[in-house]
Amino acid sequence: MSAVCAALAADPVLAEHYAEFSAKTEAALDPALVALVRAAVVAVHGMGSAPDESALDEGTRTVLAYAQRMPFEHTAITDAEAAAVVAHLGEAGFVAFSVLAALADAECRAEQVGLAELAGAA
Amino acid sequence: MSTIPRVSSGVVGEPAHFGSVLAHQPEIAESFFALYGRFWGSDVLAARIKEVARMRNARVTECGFCRNVRFDKALAQGLGEEVVDDITDGYETSARLTDAEKAALKFTDALIHDPELLTGDARAALQRHLTPAQIAELGLGVTLFLALAKALITMGLEPEQMDRTVLPTPAVLEAAE
Repeated sequence: MSAVCAALAADPVLAEHYAEFSAKTEAALDPALVALVRAAVVAVHGMGSAPDESALDEGTRTVLAYAQRMPFEHTAITDAEAAAVVAHLGEAGFVAFSVLAALADAECRAEQVGLAELAGAA
Repeated sequence: MSTIPRVSSGVVGEPAHFGSVLAHQPEIAESFFALYGRFWGSDVLAARIKEVARMRNARVTECGFCRNVRFDKALAQGLGEEVVDDITDGYETSARLTDAEKAALKFTDALIHDPELLTGDARAALQRHLTPAQIAELGLGVTLFLALAKALITMGLEPEQMDRTVLPTPAVLEAAE
């Protein structure tokens, strides 16, 4: 459970809406890719190990490299980098991936700041 | 940072903007707008404080769209431009921002920039001015503001030019409940 969901324990309706948004975002992508993207973002924040990319295809590696820039370099991502991800995932996939990577980054930050504890839920 | 959309509109006849691009993923869009409406509709934490945090996020993430939008509910609660102007570095000395808003801003900076900013006195101030339920809502808000600003920027949806625009505050649609 993310720190955000945990923090919202006292407001089950809002928590359910948040969980639904997160679930719909993840459901739009391949579950294996979702796990890789989340792991890549977590690793950038120093909160876990980077995924093993040795057996991944080039397109997936491109997506992960892009995801790794979301936490601290989002304004430096180029049109060419984005186009490479669109070429691999398609436009609809790129939209879902963009939301997922950005949400994963924000959830890591919420955890680092101790949101659940501050909200009395930890 | 690109102002050329990196993904096309998913709505025929509409230019690429956050809503039309999200139309490529209608289930994500529906769940997001339901969540966002519920968040802004809740009065556990005042809309003015939520908007203060949103403005701070807009400036730190360099989201021009977010920076130029104002939600009317916060305006009605007294968040004028003279207050918004103080939501910049050095906000700690502002005479227009309340102590609760300054505590919320420190939390916002900690979440979007550096968690070390929320130690000691800053953490105590946050807990003195906001209840746990209010902090939970603030945390949800900053999480969404940050994620959406980054998604918007990286999808190339930043406007080349945009005037300040007052929008109705997101609300829960009757049919969605």
